[in-house]
Amino acid sequence: MFDRRADLKLIRRCKLGEEAAFQEVLTRYRAAIYNLCWRMTRNDEDARDLAQEVFIKVFTLLDRYDEQYAFSSWLFRIATNHCIDHLRRQRLRMLSLERDGGSDDEEAEMQIPADGPQPDVVMQRREALEKLEEVIADLPPHYRVITLLRHDQQLSYEEIAETLQLPLGTVKARIHRARNMIQQILAARKYEI
Amino acid sequence: MSEQHSREAPHLTCVECQRSLQEYLDGGLEKPESMRVFLHVRDCTDCAEELGRIEQLVALLESLPEREPPAEFDARILASVPYDSYRAMAGLRRARVPVFLEEESLPAWMRARAVRYAGTAIAVVAVAARLTGLLPDTAVTTVVAAAGLVPGAAYALQGMARRLVLALGQSGERA
Repeated sequence: MFDRRADLKLIRRCKLGEEAAFQEVLTRYRAAIYNLCWRMTRNDEDARDLAQEVFIKVFTLLDRYDEQYAFSSWLFRIATNHCIDHLRRQRLRMLSLERDGGSDDEEAEMQIPADGPQPDVVMQRREALEKLEEVIADLPPHYRVITLLRHDQQLSYEEIAETLQLPLGTVKARIHRARNMIQQILAARKYEI
Repeated sequence: MSEQHSREAPHLTCVECQRSLQEYLDGGLEKPESMRVFLHVRDCTDCAEELGRIEQLVALLESLPEREPPAEFDARILASVPYDSYRAMAGLRRARVPVFLEEESLPAWMRARAVRYAGTAIAVVAVAARLTGLLPDTAVTTVVAAAGLVPGAAYALQGMARRLVLALGQSGERA
């Protein structure tokens, strides 16, 4: 989806200290990273802070970027790890304040609240999208992120494998499982989309 | 699960089919496998319905509304970039090669070892057959031999040029 060669040229200009090149990288990826962070947190302030921290980290660590991989993969890897770390810290804080709960580990059991709107409610498309965003936000973080990379950022399976440093088979299995989880949650909440 | 499909497409069960539906939709299946899924779905009501559900879900997932970052988003980021450090370090960096000499600038199929070796083997066989008289001296023989050499030759030439540029850059730095 992203132009690997154009990115490489741009990153090399960044490494020369060209201010315009940094602005161009930001313009190219700001919406993608901000939206990823927003959908991972569903909070405007958290999304803004996380996305800014991701870019600051990337722009100060460009020397560590290995040019044999796509820049977009490296950027998304940093962003996904940063979001997952944030969710872990947030959960730990919640646990210390409230009560015990499950792990956010990828194999964690999902809690599927059964309450929801009546099945005969006719939903508009906007409502359907809002409900879908809500359901995505309730996926365990590793499944949430893979769903967003595939469907929101429209990365290929190979790009996701490179981004998350996972075998291709694992990527396919997780996407498949994430989609099943979404369907299960939609059914449990009686959401019709 | 319908029984109809089990007679007409005995090699693909509903479980196997549903496991492949996502890749089928993404166009990630090989053609024969894709055809098997297509035929199964055509004849199996359950799997056709499941495919419809997935298509609907994927269409919705891919149309989630995009959110704009806040207006002041860029300023904090750009203010934190250590431009001066990058400029100071620029002269110390290892010599770089132009992007078109990077391995990735060649198409993946041309870089694939199997393609290069197979192409070279075809070229060698074509030339040998021509020299021993097994094949006539026609334009087709020449074209086949030349085409076979293209992936291997392009890969090798690019590698040589890259090494040359790097060597020149390093000797320039030492000077």
